[in-house]
Amino acid sequence: MENSIVLKNITKEFKVLNRHEGLKGSIRDLFSRDYKTVTAVDNVSLEIKKGEIVGYLGPNGAGKSTTIKIMTGILKPTSGEIMVNGKTPWEDRTSNCEKIGVVFGQRSQLWWSLPLVESFKLLKDIYMIEDKNYNDMLDFYASIVDLEPLLHKPVRQMSLGQRTLSDILASFLHSPEVVFLDEPTIGLDVAMKSNIRDLIAAINEQKNTTVILTTHDMGDVDALCKRIVIIDKGKMLYDNDMEHLKKVFGSYRTLSLRIRSSQMTDDFITSLEERFSPYGISISTENNWVSLVINEDRIKVMDVLSGVQENGSIKDMKLEEISTEEVIKRIYTEGI
Amino acid sequence: MSKMRKYLALTRAGIIEELGFRLATIVMIFGNIIYLTVIYFLWRSIFASSPTPVVNGMTFESTLIYLVLATAIFNFMEMYTVWEMGRNVQSGKIVLDLVRPMEYRSYLFWSYTGPTIMQFLTTFIPTFIIVECVTKAIPLGINLLYFIISIILAVMINYSIDFMVGTICLYSESIWGINIMKQVIVLLFSGATIPLAFFPEGLAKVASVLPFKAVYDGPLSILLMNSPEICDVLPILELQAFWAVMLYLLSVGFWKISLRQITVNGG
Ligand SMILES: Nc1ncnc2c1ncn2[C@@H]1O[C@H](COP(=O)(O)OP(=O)(O)OP(=O)(O)O)[C@@H](O)[C@H]1O
Ligand SMILES: [Mg+2]
Repeated sequence: MENSIVLKNITKEFKVLNRHEGLKGSIRDLFSRDYKTVTAVDNVSLEIKKGEIVGYLGPNGAGKSTTIKIMTGILKPTSGEIMVNGKTPWEDRTSNCEKIGVVFGQRSQLWWSLPLVESFKLLKDIYMIEDKNYNDMLDFYASIVDLEPLLHKPVRQMSLGQRTLSDILASFLHSPEVVFLDEPTIGLDVAMKSNIRDLIAAINEQKNTTVILTTHDMGDVDALCKRIVIIDKGKMLYDNDMEHLKKVFGSYRTLSLRIRSSQMTDDFITSLEERFSPYGISISTENNWVSLVINEDRIKVMDVLSGVQENGSIKDMKLEEISTEEVIKRIYTEGI
Repeated sequence: MSKMRKYLALTRAGIIEELGFRLATIVMIFGNIIYLTVIYFLWRSIFASSPTPVVNGMTFESTLIYLVLATAIFNFMEMYTVWEMGRNVQSGKIVLDLVRPMEYRSYLFWSYTGPTIMQFLTTFIPTFIIVECVTKAIPLGINLLYFIISIILAVMINYSIDFMVGTICLYSESIWGINIMKQVIVLLFSGATIPLAFFPEGLAKVASVLPFKAVYDGPLSILLMNSPEICDVLPILELQAFWAVMLYLLSVGFWKISLRQITVNGG
């Protein structure tokens, strides 16, 4: 199968001014040449095939949005080679843009005071979509989501969820080859999230659209991505199937315990650390909660529980699957 | 042809959008009435203190007509482009405009054509009709045709100026200051606040070599001409065309260089 996106040793550095404090500092900054270099993306290589849905993950500031901006042609990489649909996006920005769709979760690309259907008509002309394709697409949308009530509503009157849904519909309208979704489910409720996941899956299936999905929600990844790529501090840490990741981290659980406040002392925490670190358990605390990330291949959750109970009294507990952030932290500290 | 369609679609959307903002139009008309009242009393006292009814070749009436029409032109010409560009750059929304399959300059320009046309119809035309009914001072002839050509050129010049100043927002964070400065300079040197005939010699020289007078003074002088010959209007239109081309090239060039700046260094 052909490649949709190829990145070869892509690096992106930003030059930022070292700012000084206060009025005097600000005035000095006006004439300052005191730059420091931030490497947002560091030597990343990737090949993404047509029709893949790839989860592009990493903690805040990892460089995900920057990579997406490079792939859309808005940013030019400092070094390295990039091809999207066979073209170099930053050299050919406008023609690249005809074949891609973009959603940045925090902002809308729709016309604020126009009813959705007018925004769609406008996009139809801007992307020069044939009448037939346009109508087919609307019918297709109507078969997946409840489109009718949205169509005649001005975007500014929509709820966050409705707006995000509309934005995603808009980004697929011109049947792009690749769609970039940067945190599309941020701030949505469970029902809307699942709605949006169904929609993305259905369009990908029907149109064979390549989807690059950035998210902090492991649920999105589980529902949509067969492959994930993880970066942190600009460097690529992981690029493999979900299956593989599940195999490695499937036995991890996060156990959170609320301890009586009088017992939450530093001594207590140190004693836990001493006791459990041989089993590779990492411990973090917040207020009266202690969180332990447990590898069940090495020690049973029940054993940890009873171990904690010997020194402190537990008021409440939660047992969760390991979170994305945790997985990423693990991959970062332990490798894979 | 099909290329034109994508631009006209932006015009159409702008018109629909503008129709939704009735309140804004009312507020603007109200603001204009206040502004024009101030102008009226200001210039009346200027003329009252003068020994002759004609000052710098203009009567009180012609001055007032000139300034009323200048205000009406200002209303559809000022699209707050600088403001919008600055805000989009700062909030990062510009990213969404840059992923459209169009040049940003054209995209923004055509997005503004809708509101411009609507403002022209809802503020300029009524003002024009009122002035004409009250004073009968605007000749109704071939000058109107030349005026249309001239005003289109003026819109293009004005947009290039705005777009260039807006581009500065890629480098600076003080959008507000930049915008105010631009407005003051344009309104002064274009003759929109004080007719150019009243300028002292030195200032008049400066104004004559700047492009701003092609925005207000040009179309207004044509509008107030009585059945002009082509040779009367040609110098004005030529100057406008010259500035339109020059500033177009300059603004496109400046944007290209600046965009490279953000794509290389980050905005
Ligand atoms: N225009 C810019 N100028 C300077 N530094 C920038 C610029 N854009 C991003 N950075 C820096 O590059 C790094 C990566 O940012 P990026 O927005 O790509 O992160 P991200 O992975 O999308 O994070 P998040 O999950 O928070 O959205 C950050 O350290 C950020 O401060
Ligand atoms: Mg981001």
